[in-house]
Amino acid sequence: MSYVTGSVYSSEHMFAFSTKRPALSDDIRAAIRPVTLAKTKTLPVGEPWRSLLPDGGLRRGATVGVQSPAGWGGVSVALSLLSEASAKGHWSAVVGVDDPGVVAIADLGLDLRRVLFVPRPRGAWAESAADLVDGVDLLIVRPPSRPAHAAARKLMDRVRERGTVLIALTEPSAPWPLPVEVSLDVTNTQWVASSRLESRSLTVRVGGRGAAGRGAERVVVVPDRRGRAVAS
Amino acid sequence: MERLLALWIEELAVEKADGSSLRSLVAVLDALVSVCPFVEPVRLGLITMPMRGPSRFFGGDEAVMAAVAAAVRDVTGHEVNLGVAEGLFCAELAARQRTVVPAGGTSLFRRVQPLATLGHKELTMTARRLGLVTVGEFAELAPARVAERFSRTVQVLHRVARGELHELPSQRDKQLLTRLRTARGEDVRAEEQMGFFGQRSASDDRAQAAAHRLRHRLGVDGVLVADVRGGRSPDDRATLVPWGAPRPPARDNAPWPGQLGSPAPTTSFRCPVRVEVLDEHDAPVRLGVRGAMTGTPSVLLLERGVRRRITWCAGPWLLVEQWWTAPRRRAHAQVLLETGEAMLVTTEGGQWWLTGMYD
Repeated sequence: MSYVTGSVYSSEHMFAFSTKRPALSDDIRAAIRPVTLAKTKTLPVGEPWRSLLPDGGLRRGATVGVQSPAGWGGVSVALSLLSEASAKGHWSAVVGVDDPGVVAIADLGLDLRRVLFVPRPRGAWAESAADLVDGVDLLIVRPPSRPAHAAARKLMDRVRERGTVLIALTEPSAPWPLPVEVSLDVTNTQWVASSRLESRSLTVRVGGRGAAGRGAERVVVVPDRRGRAVAS
Repeated sequence: MERLLALWIEELAVEKADGSSLRSLVAVLDALVSVCPFVEPVRLGLITMPMRGPSRFFGGDEAVMAAVAAAVRDVTGHEVNLGVAEGLFCAELAARQRTVVPAGGTSLFRRVQPLATLGHKELTMTARRLGLVTVGEFAELAPARVAERFSRTVQVLHRVARGELHELPSQRDKQLLTRLRTARGEDVRAEEQMGFFGQRSASDDRAQAAAHRLRHRLGVDGVLVADVRGGRSPDDRATLVPWGAPRPPARDNAPWPGQLGSPAPTTSFRCPVRVEVLDEHDAPVRLGVRGAMTGTPSVLLLERGVRRRITWCAGPWLLVEQWWTAPRRRAHAQVLLETGEAMLVTTEGGQWWLTGMYD
């Protein structure tokens, strides 16, 4: 082992906790303060949602409630909210959606290389979701039954703290027990079909605490002929 | 004997060191599956497909050949030599000579071929000394005399010449299917590595760590990721596999052959659910021999006696498995229920299954 002496390797430069630290520039400081990050950053969404959501995107730390009767397009709506951010390279996870059809998900525009699926978390949906909050930027959760108040509260707090976006997918018979930032309720579904299923128009009522057009109903086409979500 | 359309692509017949011939062949096969699901690779540069079905579908031999030639030109940029005849031996000769042999004319076509087309030098030389120049003249020798004089290999060729066998033993590359599968697999592995390791970021690490914790909590099958094998066309072969598990070798049961096109079901059941499809008289609907349904589906009986009226139905689309699988006769149909749900049902062997939902 060689012994290094001399001015270049002085004790001052040997340790990371040297007291002589250069001042950080303002933008770096903003980026490393997580609380600010969670409040200011929004994740992008695709066109049909951009005009509907209050900030034109998904605010980090927020919970979006998607409510739809079974088979009326709730899964498509929830997944289509992820597509833009996923395509930009953000990781997402889908908890509690049994046997997701990967072709449909790819058609919606998600990058399948950055999606984790937890199809059957059994009784551990809340714990699974909590684990994933640390790892992904967007999280779809479909509770298997009516979610407990405490579990929902805990998850929403954790999401707010970490700056993840939670999309709670529920049915009207078992609604999300807490108020959410944005709620998207599917109130009507209409398929266009000729020799095969072609596209589906969903009537979506926008609500929630911070929503711009509260109570407004919009028609969104998902999936369209090419499997994507578009504004009608 | 069935009429075969043979495709002879000279540029792909030679093995290249970088495997580009093999990859081009994979691409050509993928493109041709849309023309005819029974496309069969024979060896490098040579592909066949049955002519009858596509010809009826496209409205004539010329239309099929135009579609095939266009597909090959699009994918590889090479010109393809097309030929139609009965049996693989004659089909390849027809393709090399760019000939369409009319139905029933194959035997005559075979007989006028020079003996060299059987691909046996010694036989060609000896036969020429006997005054035999064409395949037909050779075929006229009595099998006993051939057996007296020639080896077993030549006896097989003699049977081909007589039209008792339809292909030469040397025509088929028996390793080709296995090699094509590997070519598909390797192609994707290279692509994945770019995404996962080439530009691995902090968020990738975070997600991997979360997946790791979750697998610990839920077990090996708890966390799934999409296996996007097939790269450019995830439509047919994307499936979910356990996260972190070694990738299985190319699977044989493609779960979603992309024949229906978009939109695809958002739920694609791993274990399909048994259902009943009834017509307006409550009689079970079956798939008839000619690929049509025996009645108009009007009622869907789900588990536990749940009964739903069908307001609209499309199909059946016969699902013919692709060239790497054993033939199964299945058909898809889309149904729309009075409750507003759209579902994909599949029939096989008289039984109906709920295979997908458009949620």
